[in-house]
Amino acid sequence: MKIVVCIKQVPATGADKRYTDDLRLDRSSVEAIINPLDEYAIEQALRLVDSGAVETLTYLSMGPEQAAEALRRALAMGGDDAVLVTDPSLSGADAWATARVLAAALDRLTPDVALMGMASDDARGSLVPGAVAAMRRLPLLSYGAELALVDGTARVRRLSATGFDWITAPLPVVASVTDQVGEPRYASLKGIMAAKRKPFETWSLADVGLSASDLSGATLTVVTDARAPEGKPPTERIEDLPAPEAAARIADWLAVRKLM
Amino acid sequence: MTSNVAFFAEFAAGSPARSALELAAGAAELASQSGGSAIGLAYGAGAAEGAAALGASGAARVIVLGDENRPAITYAAAATAAVRDAVALAVLAPATPNGRDLAAALVGSLNLPAFGPVRAARVSAGILETEQATLQGRVITTARPADGAPEPSVVLVLANTFTPIEGGSGSAEVTHAPAAEDSPFGLATIAESHEAEAKVVNLEEATVIVAGGRGVGGEEGFGPLRDLAAELGGAVGASRAAADAGWIPYQLQIGQTGKVVKPSLYIAAGISGAIQHRVGMQSAEHVIAINRDADAPIGEFADLFVVGDLFQIVPALTEEIRRRKGA
Repeated sequence: MKIVVCIKQVPATGADKRYTDDLRLDRSSVEAIINPLDEYAIEQALRLVDSGAVETLTYLSMGPEQAAEALRRALAMGGDDAVLVTDPSLSGADAWATARVLAAALDRLTPDVALMGMASDDARGSLVPGAVAAMRRLPLLSYGAELALVDGTARVRRLSATGFDWITAPLPVVASVTDQVGEPRYASLKGIMAAKRKPFETWSLADVGLSASDLSGATLTVVTDARAPEGKPPTERIEDLPAPEAAARIADWLAVRKLM
Repeated sequence: MTSNVAFFAEFAAGSPARSALELAAGAAELASQSGGSAIGLAYGAGAAEGAAALGASGAARVIVLGDENRPAITYAAAATAAVRDAVALAVLAPATPNGRDLAAALVGSLNLPAFGPVRAARVSAGILETEQATLQGRVITTARPADGAPEPSVVLVLANTFTPIEGGSGSAEVTHAPAAEDSPFGLATIAESHEAEAKVVNLEEATVIVAGGRGVGGEEGFGPLRDLAAELGGAVGASRAAADAGWIPYQLQIGQTGKVVKPSLYIAAGISGAIQHRVGMQSAEHVIAINRDADAPIGEFADLFVVGDLFQIVPALTEEIRRRKGA
């Protein structure tokens, strides 16, 4: 059983991020980390390795050369090897282009399960897992609070409107998991040392059978404007008031805005 | 000319989700700007029977993708076939897990541009334009399809972006999706269903939300929040900390990995306001925070920040509202 976890390097949560003059997210000036929600996918995969359900765990990322660092951090948590697909023409890739490249790389890696986090911190569309499944013509098992592998099938426990369902599909599949799978483990010092010796490949776009023209300039969308939100009045504060008086002030505030 | 605007309309237990009514209104609005029609893509239990009634909500035509209780993604092949024939400029999908799955399948199957989750959309001179809050709400970006990009654009839309049409009449022309080719998406099945003990509301449909966090202290701490929500005609939500602690079902979690909500009033009680929570409620129109910690980050983005003990202030507020309503 072979699993590939797709990870994305993103600017650190809460870092002071901004847009460059050409309306792309400026990734040069901030600390980069593994997308926090991808760490849950890593943890889920490692639990499947620990339980003996998975024999091989490979990490895959698409990104600039610096994304190698995110892959090394993942390898320090566990797993066998890693592949980085990097190409200058991929800068500014949108959900569609990212899915296209990952799908092409997965065609080469042919895992039983391609596993991803449920969303990325910086884009938040949650579209890549489903788009990859469509491109590879595989079933999608998304938003798993848990992923299990049983008798040639994969199943995820997914919240429903009124409880939860177990949704199942025959392997191979594309799957995504949420932050309910369990807290990601820390890399041990031993793990960090071992990660340096684990196999690591860097692939170009040509190595996955694509050319820059296949990707329409890496995006089908254009950002035409980036601005500060509408000016909002400063926060009003109510402090040091006994509860009944504070409550009356809040009620006044609601009444003025016709919210009561 | 591609001027129609399609939208996903999810049905459950015989009724359309609120998102279906909101997106019908949104699609009708965009279609009036582009000179086309709003076309519903209806799926889920009750879709066939309820499809025509979407006409009163703005749809000119509704294509029924399927009418069973099965994973939404299994309707992807029918949706792809319907969208291929719809001559649409845009397809609107709710920014929910089901909506995102179907949107993603369209993006991957037909190589389409994707937007969102957006908080506004319009068609200007025949071109789709969307607005999205990024970088934790500190930046609003406007985006449109690249020149020559394939159509339609797939747009994830936040709840409460559009307002359902009230008192409309008329009935939509209903057709059934062409038989879809065998699709791998169809292989996903529900193996087991587990119902929660207590009935949970759909937070995406609430216009008033009273949410509790770590500061609520436990399951019973949500009691006063429920009283306040009932008085305001709203629903109770929670931060991830409260859901992880088991004080409240995960269906009521608001944030990056829970529900993304856009109510007209959001009251956060005992929630510090981590970025992950903010992502789920930053589009709320009015935010009141009640917190003991005068330096809690939620104070930075609340419209009204009440520093104090929620266990005193929340019941006092409920009482005050009750008193004024009675007056």
